[in-house]
Amino acid sequence: MGFFHRHRGLTPYLLLLPGLAWLAIFFLVPLGFLGYQSLQSGTFDVGYAFDWAWGNYWDALQRYHPWLVRSLIYAGLATLFALVISYPLAYWIAFRGGRWKNVLLVMIIAPFFVTYLIRTLAWETILADQGPVVGVLRDVGILGDNGRVLATSTAVVAGITYNFLPFMALPLYVALEGIDERLIEAAEDLYASKVQAFLRVTLPLSMPGVVAGTLLTFIPATGDFINAQLLGTPRQAMIGNVIQSKFFNLLDYPGAAALSFTLMAAVLLLIAIYARAIGTEKLTG
Amino acid sequence: MKFVRRHLLTAYAILSFAYLLVPIAVVIAFSFNDPPGRYNYTWHGFTLDQWKNWDAVPALKDAMVLSLEIALLASVVATVLGTLIALALVRYGFRGRGATNLLIFVPMATPEVVLAAALLTLFLNVTVFTLGFGTILIAHIMFCISYVVVTVKARLIGFDRSLEEAAMDLGANEFTTFRKVTLPLIAPAILAGALLSFALSIDDFVITYFNAGSEVTFPIFVWGSAQRGVPPQVNVFGTVIFVVALTLMVVNVLYQRRREVQAA
Amino acid sequence: MTDMLTRQELLRRAGFGAAMLSIPGFAAACGGGSSGSSGATTQKLASTLHFANWPLYMDYVKKTNRYPTLDAFTKKLGVKVDYTENINSNSEYFGKIQGPLSRGQSINEDIIVLTDNERYLATMINKGWVEELDKDVIPNIINLVDVQKHPGFDPDRKYSLPWQSGMTGIAYNSTLTKPILSIDQLLEDKSLKGQITVLNSFADTLGLVMLSNGDDPSKVTDASWKAALDRIKEASDSGQIRQFTGNDYTGPLDKGDLKACVAWSGDIQQLGNPKLKWNVPKDGGMIWTDNMIIPKGGDAYTASVYMNYAYTPAVAAKIAAFIQYVPPVKGTRQAMSKVDPSLAGNPLIFPTDATLDQVHLIDPDALSNQSYNEQWQAVLGA
Repeated sequence: MGFFHRHRGLTPYLLLLPGLAWLAIFFLVPLGFLGYQSLQSGTFDVGYAFDWAWGNYWDALQRYHPWLVRSLIYAGLATLFALVISYPLAYWIAFRGGRWKNVLLVMIIAPFFVTYLIRTLAWETILADQGPVVGVLRDVGILGDNGRVLATSTAVVAGITYNFLPFMALPLYVALEGIDERLIEAAEDLYASKVQAFLRVTLPLSMPGVVAGTLLTFIPATGDFINAQLLGTPRQAMIGNVIQSKFFNLLDYPGAAALSFTLMAAVLLLIAIYARAIGTEKLTG
Repeated sequence: MKFVRRHLLTAYAILSFAYLLVPIAVVIAFSFNDPPGRYNYTWHGFTLDQWKNWDAVPALKDAMVLSLEIALLASVVATVLGTLIALALVRYGFRGRGATNLLIFVPMATPEVVLAAALLTLFLNVTVFTLGFGTILIAHIMFCISYVVVTVKARLIGFDRSLEEAAMDLGANEFTTFRKVTLPLIAPAILAGALLSFALSIDDFVITYFNAGSEVTFPIFVWGSAQRGVPPQVNVFGTVIFVVALTLMVVNVLYQRRREVQAA
Repeated sequence: MTDMLTRQELLRRAGFGAAMLSIPGFAAACGGGSSGSSGATTQKLASTLHFANWPLYMDYVKKTNRYPTLDAFTKKLGVKVDYTENINSNSEYFGKIQGPLSRGQSINEDIIVLTDNERYLATMINKGWVEELDKDVIPNIINLVDVQKHPGFDPDRKYSLPWQSGMTGIAYNSTLTKPILSIDQLLEDKSLKGQITVLNSFADTLGLVMLSNGDDPSKVTDASWKAALDRIKEASDSGQIRQFTGNDYTGPLDKGDLKACVAWSGDIQQLGNPKLKWNVPKDGGMIWTDNMIIPKGGDAYTASVYMNYAYTPAVAAKIAAFIQYVPPVKGTRQAMSKVDPSLAGNPLIFPTDATLDQVHLIDPDALSNQSYNEQWQAVLGA
């Protein structure tokens, strides 16, 4: 252990080394290739050649910004809904879960054991036009007589929300679980009501979890395509669908790459703004 | 009114769990279905046949086993690597913090299909990699690390260091302090990170599909069989995994309880 | 050209083959795995055949967890078959294999199966990413049905052989709607609004619409393309078309969310729901074929030997009995009466000549026309 004392300054780099090396080799290198590809031009039949084709990026932004905006909106809504649904759940597990906490956590990720397709098929069964749920919604008047839930933007956002719930719930739980309950007791001893104690003590202390959950939900949700594909119509297509289409159907690999970088830039820009707004301490400690 | 207020949270939590698990209930229910043809969409009648013939679909069992192996390995490795990065980021100042944070976020923002193809390009160009178990594992570890880092950080930020300082004042060195004080306190975060990684890995399709060579994981199998009807045995397997995982955790809880009772 | 083998050639080879079998030790002396069915080559069979296919596309027995015709092949020729069902979509599979193939690397498969109504099959052939069939060892190629002998993407059948065919038509739920027998009805009947889907491949959907417009889908022109595309776009914008689907229409159709849809013949067969009816539309339907090809780096000799085996009517019947799509091998129907007589008369597996006259192929040039592809993707939402 003397080594670490003498080389104190090295410690962070040693901690970072294995993980970052892994990411450097298996993420950055492919990303570099992707960047190279995004600046190629040509067609699949004739072949692609690198020639600083910045036009790919201009094309991506100019033609596809509506899809980009729609993706950011859907992902944003899904993140918000996930937060609203997950926060009380995570709170309950953290403060009332007792010895069953881990069991409850496993139940949160249980839907992932059956693969995305099966989960979605199950929802399609539950939300079928002829099914009980839609029947009730029609009777109550929320849906028109021929209203449906599936194949709408509601279904797409609901699908994204559902599939990313664990990504919001688990970080929230992590932060809430770490809050010392004595702090809350102390607030109440000082005549704070339960609501005040929550707003003044618990909520602020749980912010790192809120931030983490928001990032883990929003960022990947923007690139999602599968919910729009199975639960939506062409009007709900997200940027992920365009990328899929360019890659698989149009064989336009540079276009797909450029569009991907455009999405990534937009998302990272939003995160930078978000970080600035909430203060970077919540982001990096 | 007080009753309602007191139990509002519990009611809400139960509703949230119901929302989360209602598709699982459907999956379990349909594992007892008796469909006439190859598709398992509408209820036709109760049968135990699918359970009796749980092994009736070729390759499904192998695909499931492969997925579980990879998910377990990937989540362990990713959790270790990710936790180390989180510790470094939160507790130490060093040059390149901003860049490191960026490097953590970018993989999550990258659309899966282009990442899958680009990673495949790497594997194809560096011939030491043959597509198969190894490349799938490498890919899964890669995309799980970021999620672990962000999750563990959520606990490390705002972590009260006074306990660690107290331990060290009492003579413990850094390593012992970490092992006996810090680690137990951040264990829930590490577990959460591991669970997230496991979920991500066992559910991944695109990146795995591109980099698996001819190996077939559970999601690849399911997407493939969707062409001609997902067999009810898939529901059986899903149910079994769910029940087994729950049972393991419940057993763990009861075991802990016994230990506490015995120690008292 | 092997498909012009004369009767005498065939008999001579068969006789030679039989002679080889009757000489003890000769097979061993020739080297392991030498087949007795052809003596015209000195090539060796590989020890394993790597065959990638679509799911549920090979006869299979649940009880024993085995593929009977593949086992029989192994028994007969000593070649193990490494059979994987990991093709679930032409575009996705191609997206995955174009990586290695574009770099001149092998994908370690000897036979793969792609559909002729998407661009990828022709692309594989045009890019030279396939091996030539070794026709010397496929005498059974004469069993190929005439209509499949000279497809646009492979006029001399140098690289591909059909595996199974299927038809695209209209399915409807007889308890929810009156019979829907034409595209005009499907797209214009207001009572169906929001409860129909069409397929997301334009060969299927626009092919049917072109036929409904009186145009020929096997010779697509810009005018016929535009007319068909505009009709679909209008139906989508107005909400008549609920979604563009792959084969995920089967769930909603079965559950009653859909009244009618564009559908593949085999799917309705396999849903087993008596309320669902499938028919070739009044103005004509489409036919598509999944083709076996040998990707570059595959063992053309062994693959060709397998293809010859699969083109034996008795084997083709066993496979078709399970898959329940349309076999491309002459004589299968007669052989089927020994395997499963009830299927021998099934019009979805053995369509009548009248039906076959009504179904059409898509123009392969249209499939690789980039502008058409872009316009179609735009209608799909991208």
